[in-house]
Amino acid sequence: MFRPRRPVEASGGQMSEQGIVLWGRGITKSFGGTEALRDVDFDVSMNQVVGIVGENGAGKTTLFNIISGIVPPDAGEMVCRGRPFAPTGYRDASQVGISRVFQEQALIPNIRVYENLLLSHETTYSWVGQLIDKKRMVATAQRIIDQAGLDIDVRRPTASYSFSKRQLIEIARACIVPTEVLGIQDPIVLLDEPTSALEKSDEEVFRKLITRLRERASIVFVSHRLSEVLELSDVIYVLKDGKLVATVDPANATERVLHERMVGREREADYYHESDQSEVTDRPVVYRVQGLTRGGHYDDVSLDVRGGEIVGIGGLLNSGKSEFGKGVSGIIAPESGSVQMNDSDPELPNVCRLTARGLAYVPAERLLEGLISRFSAAWNVSLAGGGDLFANRFGVWSGRREAEVTESYIQKLAIKAGGPHVLCSTLSGGNQQKVVLARWLCRDAKVLILDNPTRGVDAGAKEEIYKLIRRLASEGAGIILITDELLELIGLSNRVVVMRHGRVAETVDAAVNAKPTERQLIEIMLSPSRDDGDAIELAAAS
Amino acid sequence: MTTGRKIGDMVLGLITSGMGLPVAVVLGLIVFFSIGSDAFLSLRNLTAISGQASTLLLACLGATFVVLMGSIDLSVGAIVLLVGAVTVKAINAFDLGVGALLVGLLTGMMLGAGNGLIFAFGRIPSFVVTLGTLSVFTGAAWEILQGRALRFDSLLFENMAIGQLIPRFPNIALIAIITWVLMVFLCFKTRFGRYMFIIGGGEAVATTAGIPVRRYKVYAFMLSGAMAGFTGALAVARLGTAGPTLGQDLLLNTLAAIVVGGTSLSGGIGGVHRTLIGVLIIALLDNGLNLMGVNQYSQMMVKGGVVIAAVLISQERGKISVMK
Repeated sequence: MFRPRRPVEASGGQMSEQGIVLWGRGITKSFGGTEALRDVDFDVSMNQVVGIVGENGAGKTTLFNIISGIVPPDAGEMVCRGRPFAPTGYRDASQVGISRVFQEQALIPNIRVYENLLLSHETTYSWVGQLIDKKRMVATAQRIIDQAGLDIDVRRPTASYSFSKRQLIEIARACIVPTEVLGIQDPIVLLDEPTSALEKSDEEVFRKLITRLRERASIVFVSHRLSEVLELSDVIYVLKDGKLVATVDPANATERVLHERMVGREREADYYHESDQSEVTDRPVVYRVQGLTRGGHYDDVSLDVRGGEIVGIGGLLNSGKSEFGKGVSGIIAPESGSVQMNDSDPELPNVCRLTARGLAYVPAERLLEGLISRFSAAWNVSLAGGGDLFANRFGVWSGRREAEVTESYIQKLAIKAGGPHVLCSTLSGGNQQKVVLARWLCRDAKVLILDNPTRGVDAGAKEEIYKLIRRLASEGAGIILITDELLELIGLSNRVVVMRHGRVAETVDAAVNAKPTERQLIEIMLSPSRDDGDAIELAAAS
Repeated sequence: MTTGRKIGDMVLGLITSGMGLPVAVVLGLIVFFSIGSDAFLSLRNLTAISGQASTLLLACLGATFVVLMGSIDLSVGAIVLLVGAVTVKAINAFDLGVGALLVGLLTGMMLGAGNGLIFAFGRIPSFVVTLGTLSVFTGAAWEILQGRALRFDSLLFENMAIGQLIPRFPNIALIAIITWVLMVFLCFKTRFGRYMFIIGGGEAVATTAGIPVRRYKVYAFMLSGAMAGFTGALAVARLGTAGPTLGQDLLLNTLAAIVVGGTSLSGGIGGVHRTLIGVLIIALLDNGLNLMGVNQYSQMMVKGGVVIAAVLISQERGKISVMK
């Protein structure tokens, strides 16, 4: 177990003159033939904030995994505080003062905040190893929270704080506990997409937190939000296809410059391909939803989707739009209401029946519900109900057809994978999402329900997915697009349905030359209602 | 490509597919027991092993699909017992002959369907469901048998198991091997087999992709039951009676063989082809230890140890974060 440690010898002769606490040279790593990192050099100076940007698949997470000892590099060396650093696990890394906040939350919800903050350091606060000095733990924990400038009572159960608050607690833990408890000066903190789950109101708190923490720690953080990276970083590394393509000084860079470096092209004006949006008023309805209701989640939702139409569904996090997506596709059956696909009779949605008829559902939680990452790309592409595409009527499976179809989609969608038998766990988020989409494309889906199809996907893949969605619509598919990203919602949709507290608040037309503004939509989303007492959670309105 | 290269590739393939170790264990056991006992490699004993192993193999084949799906079927032995008893009753009442096998298979399938329906639609863990039906089926069987061993009189039926179409190779072993081949095909070349992997690997993914998960769960238990029933009928044919202890050793042995073969209890990893190797390991252990004069109690201890060791060796512990 952890024991209190003497401070790691800081400063002095062992450190290089510029105060670099951690550096790496020639870091290289590949997975199953795909090169994730190639010859990357980096420096982390004391009390600096280092921003790392890049598309998904550029190698950001791999770099973090290497620094935090989770995967070993194939080649290259690292030096931490003047000593060669080759961690064989996260523990090795944490012992030299490297801590990391993972994308998934690592707090245990059913214990109290102070217990989480000092998790695995209990022996420091106990007599004879077992009797815990609760008072001293609470005091230390509260001191940590105060130093971070958070408004949190450490004695309360962790689950009583929102997801966003818990994220802040985790960041505070990673930054302050090494110093406060282990006595390590100048810890190095790795933050992986720290703000992607933060509510708007907590983003400001996060900024302040980082400003405070940089006094006492070196921070390396990865983010897709370029404005934030520019604002907070002292230096920005840009990764592209596993290579370090630029080291940018944020003082004289703009978002556009960063973006250009990341994708190697300028952001096109027609990002959402609005000119391809089709006029659909005279098209037949392909999916009719009537009075869909599931208690506590959504209530009496009706809408029609015409062939070629993209119906956007927006709303705050608690608007019930994701639950509605699961209901309308029949994954979690609603209590009442009906759906009608083309000319079928109205019926309660059932996912097996609907997919057999040509409905596709792309979930927001890719790794939990979208694909099985330890299976190959081919297995994930063929993975869908109504398996007659790859099996004959006797149920005999054709592995060859499966491989051929997957290979063809690897080409068509430019999926960066060595071949159809490559495991999905070795692919980046954007490429994984393309695999999920290929599953439905090869089945010629007529109605698509997409829940945040570009979440956790880099700008390049995002653009390709937008193009794909447009193409599907122009080929006559009806699409329900549920998304937290307002610009995507406005840019892609023919019509925007705004949900509030499980009901349709308003339907806003979004014709090509008459798109609503973000502000307009937010007004509708927020529009006051009686049961709106508690905190308003605004979904990634930026 | 030379034959040498081909064999080299095959060996390499075995090792990389994770089957190298189980196969090496089988070979090791054969060497060990043939040194330890003169009788081990005799034709007579090999015939005996093939008979014993076949019952186990048949019983494991269906259950492997259930494990692959991430569930567990503890009632296999109990179905063997109950179906054995029912089959003998049926033969004595109707003079079924070979048709008794079909009766066994269908009865088992019905019992398995019961397991599957309760599991899939009652949303109760398969462990609990089959532990319950284990007791129910055993009780029902003992009710039928009234504590005695029931005999039957049908030479034709008996021959299904102990006759030798191939000299020195009992028919039950032939049936087991043919069934194994069919099941390997079912596992890797059919939609059913693929869905088992998918449900075991990620049930939530299967659901959002529109795979009828619950229906396939029931199918898997039906298959497991059907194979257990088939085994029950053949075991009775082989032994000539249905006694109260029939199938008793199958509870541990089936799970042991499946896991030792390399199908992971966490689901989605492994396959029916591996179960043959697992069955050989268990059957060789049973037979060899008997021949060497190791007593029954020590044998139980050895076997339990082997199962735990197999899981310890096979699973990628680094990837498991939580174990409950």
